[in-house]
Amino acid sequence: MRFLRSLVAFALGSLVLIGGTPARAADPIKVGMVIPLTGSIAESGKYGIQGAKLAIEEVNKAGGVLGRPLELVIEDDQSANPTTILAFNKLVGDPNIVAFLGPTRSTQIQAMSPAVQKAGKPVMIGGTDPKLTLAGNPWLFRFRPNDSYTVRVMSDFGSNVLGKKKWAVIHATDAFGTSASTLFIEALKKQGITPVMTEGQPNNSPDYTAVALKVKQSGADVMATFITYEQDLAIFAKQLQQLGVNVVWVGSPSITTTTARNLAGPALHGTYAIADFHVAANPEAKAFSAKYRESYKSSPDFFASWPYDAVHVIAKAIEAAKSVEPQKLREALLAVKGYRGVEGTYNFDKNGDGLHGYNILKNDKGDIVVEKRIDFDD
Amino acid sequence: MGIFFQLIFTGLGVGSIYALIALGFVLIYRATNVVNFAQGDFAMLGAFAMVVITIDLGLPYWIGIILTLLVLPLVGVLFNLGVYFPLRNRGYLPVIISTLGASIFLENGMLAAYGPRPQSLPPVFASQGITLGPVFLDSQYLVILATTIAMVALQYVFFERTLLGKKMQATSQDKEMASLLGIPVALMIMLTFAYSATLGGLAGILVAPIIFVSVGMGAVIALKAFAATIIGGFGDVKGAIVGGLALGLIETLGAAYVSVPFKDGFAFLLLFIFLLVRPQGLYGERISEKA
Repeated sequence: MRFLRSLVAFALGSLVLIGGTPARAADPIKVGMVIPLTGSIAESGKYGIQGAKLAIEEVNKAGGVLGRPLELVIEDDQSANPTTILAFNKLVGDPNIVAFLGPTRSTQIQAMSPAVQKAGKPVMIGGTDPKLTLAGNPWLFRFRPNDSYTVRVMSDFGSNVLGKKKWAVIHATDAFGTSASTLFIEALKKQGITPVMTEGQPNNSPDYTAVALKVKQSGADVMATFITYEQDLAIFAKQLQQLGVNVVWVGSPSITTTTARNLAGPALHGTYAIADFHVAANPEAKAFSAKYRESYKSSPDFFASWPYDAVHVIAKAIEAAKSVEPQKLREALLAVKGYRGVEGTYNFDKNGDGLHGYNILKNDKGDIVVEKRIDFDD
Repeated sequence: MGIFFQLIFTGLGVGSIYALIALGFVLIYRATNVVNFAQGDFAMLGAFAMVVITIDLGLPYWIGIILTLLVLPLVGVLFNLGVYFPLRNRGYLPVIISTLGASIFLENGMLAAYGPRPQSLPPVFASQGITLGPVFLDSQYLVILATTIAMVALQYVFFERTLLGKKMQATSQDKEMASLLGIPVALMIMLTFAYSATLGGLAGILVAPIIFVSVGMGAVIALKAFAATIIGGFGDVKGAIVGGLALGLIETLGAAYVSVPFKDGFAFLLLFIFLLVRPQGLYGERISEKA
């Protein structure tokens, strides 16, 4: 018994010793990453990790942060909401992780938001539902323009630049699609326009005939879409073409991804899309794309670009704060102004939104070209 | 009116896809008394086999179809040996869980082997389809409809007119009696699995040009096909066909005339009503048939 007690005492003592050891200069600063490696959107996870790793390498090659190397700790969120929370909480268990990269899908971020607030450490996100940063969670920092800009740029481009006023609005019935389309309709209202039709379709549908026919019947001359999955987009695009529906199409970012273009082929030719990222949108994006292609033999898209920017901004913020203490890091992140990333120029506002504008792209016979950049001040 | 016919056509096309998968559900249920939850994954495997053969290896389309239809029976036999056979005397629950496990294994195995990027497969005919007045007939849906009709006819002739088919049917109706009569029950069940896998693979080949080839493609259709099977009744091949077509039509017409967001809801509402009012389905078997 006495032996056991001394053993416990010894064990506890050594724990205290280990815990009390101050971080050595060479100890890495860890950044956690909650990302889908399996499940329905596993593909995007692969790109996200590649983008983040490229930035980590660059930061470490330049001497690291506060003289310490950055290290990425990856946890699979399995493309689903409950498992996203589990993955995040698992990473939170590691006290050496100072900041996190979160998912690109709004619904997953919404699910993990309470856990983020409880953890009290900065989480970089790529979901574009505006509510995410407006719900009073001070720890979310967005690295893509949110949907309020999506919709302002899309409606501005369609109604004013192209001069089309009869809008059809098609959206997925998930968190992203529903919120984006609601905001889009509000943005149209501000221009004095009511869409001639609005329709939502569930994800993973094998058929879009009903929706395509409704667009045709509505007499719309321009269509906005907020569809989450590329398969759904491609099926819809093909059926529109087959059923002879001719409208100018302005889509949300997923319409320009390599996968969407490969799947839909000519059915997406001539469509417009707003996109936060394009390989040739600015000098930073060009340099990043060249490096990415060299490393991974494929072109990057937004799944890879925002984690790349996020890692650089975290590094910059830690340097500025001279600390990894969460509150100081948060203030340093909010103080980032005029940082030229590959997604655009970051000016963080009080909500944690870094970007306030979009590129407008055109699918020119399968090639994506930059048509315009629209930025807002507020 | 043109729109109505367009919807009917598409509904029947989508319904035939459900029917082809549902047919596999029914066959295996009749032979083994369990639902094979990996039936949709046979479709996924068939579609991926086509991608490997025709796109990666660059072989002609028709060779791809032949090779795929030769590989899938082997998959069915292996599935029978690995997933069903060891558990055949343990009641239905272990086997159902085993098929669920197989489904997860196949999907994630394919994900590991082929990556998560969805692939596209060209349609059987180069032409997109024909326009008949206001109705556009997608060539791929025409192929699917024709194949479904052909498979139903073939299946009818096989089960009703050939000795092997009758042996398989006898096995499905009463295993003990069948084995007393000298029918090799285990072999018959293995053949059923081989055939169901082939049927699933065929559905996968046909549906791939429309919904694309991805790891989750089978699960999406199989869920609806499962509902179709319950609506039609697990005991009868007719049920699978009628259930599948009915579901495709209701979904498409419901989306067009009632509500698009509740498209999936219609399928499951119908399922719910059937489970409540007529749990044995449209063509439910009489109790006496399976004494």
